[in-house]
Amino acid sequence: MLSVFGNLLYGLGVALTPDHMLIAFIGLILGTAIGVLPGLGGTNGVALLLPLTFHLTPTAAIILLSSVYWGALFGGAITSILFNIPGEPWSVATTFDGHPLAQQGKPGIALTAAFTSSFIGAAVSIVLFTFFAPPLAEWALKFGPPENFAVMLLAFATFTGLGGADPAKTLFMTLLGLLLSTVGFDIVSGAPRMNFGLVSLQSGVNFIVIAIGLFGLGEIFLTVEEGLHLRGIRARISFRDLWETWRMFPRYWATMIRGTILGFWIGVLPGTGATPASFMSYGLAKQFSKNAERFGKGEVEGVIAPEIAAHSAGIGALLPMITLGIPGSPTAAVMLAGFFIWGLNPGGLLFQTQREFVWGLIGSMYIANVLGVILVLTLVPVFASINRIPFGILAPLIVILSSIGAYATNNQILDLWIMLGSGVMGYVFKKLKYPLAPLVVALVLGDMTEQALRQSLIMSQGSPAIFFTRPIALAFILASGLLFVLPLIRTFLNRRGPRLPAPAPAS
Amino acid sequence: MHRADTVFAGLLVLFSLVLFPQVLRLPIAWTGSGPGSGFFPFWLTVGVALHAVLILVRSVRAPTPPGRAAPFIPSEAWRPLLVVFLPMVAVIGLLRYLGIYIGGALYLAGYMIFVGHQRWTTVAFVSILLPVVLFYIFERWFLLPLPKGILLEYLLYGR
Repeated sequence: MLSVFGNLLYGLGVALTPDHMLIAFIGLILGTAIGVLPGLGGTNGVALLLPLTFHLTPTAAIILLSSVYWGALFGGAITSILFNIPGEPWSVATTFDGHPLAQQGKPGIALTAAFTSSFIGAAVSIVLFTFFAPPLAEWALKFGPPENFAVMLLAFATFTGLGGADPAKTLFMTLLGLLLSTVGFDIVSGAPRMNFGLVSLQSGVNFIVIAIGLFGLGEIFLTVEEGLHLRGIRARISFRDLWETWRMFPRYWATMIRGTILGFWIGVLPGTGATPASFMSYGLAKQFSKNAERFGKGEVEGVIAPEIAAHSAGIGALLPMITLGIPGSPTAAVMLAGFFIWGLNPGGLLFQTQREFVWGLIGSMYIANVLGVILVLTLVPVFASINRIPFGILAPLIVILSSIGAYATNNQILDLWIMLGSGVMGYVFKKLKYPLAPLVVALVLGDMTEQALRQSLIMSQGSPAIFFTRPIALAFILASGLLFVLPLIRTFLNRRGPRLPAPAPAS
Repeated sequence: MHRADTVFAGLLVLFSLVLFPQVLRLPIAWTGSGPGSGFFPFWLTVGVALHAVLILVRSVRAPTPPGRAAPFIPSEAWRPLLVVFLPMVAVIGLLRYLGIYIGGALYLAGYMIFVGHQRWTTVAFVSILLPVVLFYIFERWFLLPLPKGILLEYLLYGR
C-alpha cells in the first residue's frame, strides 16, 4: 500500500516537469479540438498523432496521447450541447438533454454540468485506477501463454456478448481483424505468408493505416453523405452558471456513483469503451429517477449521467491496456500500437521495468484532468468557434492529415491505397452495421493471440486440454464461453418473455 | 438497405473463398515442433467463411421490409462522395510527382473552390499556409520526411 503512494508521488513528479506539463497542455488543446469537430474522432485523432511521437520519449508520448484522449472526452460534449450534433460517439447521449437545456437558454448550465461530471467521473476512476493497476499487473505476471490466450479470448468474447451489434457480424469482424494480422511474416518461423505474392505486404498490414482509414476516412465519407449543417447556440460559462450548477450536484449523488462505477467497469472490459457506458448510464439514470418524464426535455441529470460514465470508461479502458496489454477501447488499441513502436512490451512487466512510463502516465492522468476541466470551463467560446470553420475547408484538411498520418508510419505509398480502401470499407461496414471496434482490437492483438495459442499448444504437445487444466485459464475460458453464448440466450429469452434491453452498440 | 446487406454478405463469402488458396499453401497441421505457420490463418479463414455464409443466409431469409427500398447510397449523396473520393485517387496516384505538400495543397484548393465555394483569398491563404506549416512540423521539427515529389525536390535541393 505504501509503495503505491510512493510510486504515485514519483509519477506526479514525472508529470509535473515543465516538458511533460507542456505536452499534456498541447495534447488537451488538440484533443478538445478533435472532440469538438464532428468527423474527426478521438480514435482517429490519436492515430494521426502517433507518427509525431516517434521522436519523443515513451513517457512524453503516452502523456501526449492520453491527454488527447481526455481532451476529446471533454470536448465531445460541447458540440452535443450547443449544436445538437455529437462531436464524438460517446457524447450522443449528451445531446438528449444537453441540447434542450441549451435551447431553453441555459447552455452554460448544461456545459458546466457536462464538464464537472466528466471531471468527477475521471477523478474517482483515476483513484480506482491507481489502486487496482499494481495488483492486477502483479497478478498478470503469473500468466503463461495459456492464460494470455484465454484473456484475449475473453476480450473477443466481450465484444460478442456485450458489444450490442449483431453477434454474427461481430464475430466476423473479430476473425477478419485476426486474419489481417497474420499477413506478412510468420512470427514463429519467420516464413512469409498471406501476402498474395506482394512484396510490399511482407512487412504486414499496418494497424495505424487501417485505423485511420476505417475511423477517419469512413467517418468523413459518412459526414459528407449526410451533409453537415451546424447551427449552434453561442455560449460562455459565467460564475453564476458554475454556482447554480454546482449547487444542484449533491442532489444527484446516486446517479453519479452509479455512473462512475458502471463506466469504470465497462471501460475495463476489453474493447467496449466510453460509448456503451454513456448510453447505459443514461438509461439507468432515467429508470431510477423520480422525474423520468422530464428526461429528454432538458434534465440536468440526463447530462450528468452519460458524461460521468463516458469519462470513467475512458480512464478504465487504460487499465487492461497497461496491466495486461489488452486495450479497453478502440482508442486504447491505437495507444497500444504505439507501445510496440516505442519499443515497449505491454503487460505486467511494464510495472517493474518501466517505472517512469507507467507512473508518469498515472501521474499525468491526475494533472491532465485537472488542467483539462479548467481549460474547457474557461475556453468554451473558443472551442465552440472551431465549428465555424466551414466543412468545405475542414473535410479536405482531415483527408490530408489522415494521409500524412497513414504515410508517416511506414513511408510507403501502398499504405495510402490501403487507407483509402479501408476508408471505403469503413463507410460500407458502418452503413450495414458491422462493428468496427472488434476488427481494430483484433488486429492489434492478433500477433499476441497467435503467439500465445501456438506456445500453449507447443507446451502441451498439441493437446487443447492445457486451457482447461490451469485454473486461471479455465476461469477465463468459461467466462468467454458464457459471453459467446449470451446473445443466443438473449434471443431465446426474448422469444419467450418480455424483451431484454440489448446494450448500445460500441464504436 | 436490405438488398445491399445481402449483396455485401455475398461479396464477403466470395472474399473468404479467395483466401483459401493462399492459406492452403502454408503448413496448417502439426509440424513436429508445433503448429505450422498456416495453422492460425487456416482456422481463421474457416471461421471468416462460416460467418460470412451465416450472415448471407440470415440476410436472404429475413423478410424484406415493405415499401420501396431506399437505395444504399442516396442519389443526391453520390456527387459529394465522389468529389471527396476521386481527387484522392488522383492525388495518391500522382504522389510520386506531386508529393504530399503540393498534392495536398491542390486537393485542398480544389475542394474549397468547387465544393466549399470559398472566396479566392481564403483559398489562397489556406492552401499556401497549410503546406508550409506542415513542412515545418514534419520536416524540421519532428524530422519525419514526407514524399516531396519531383518538383519540390528540385526547388528545394536542386535535384
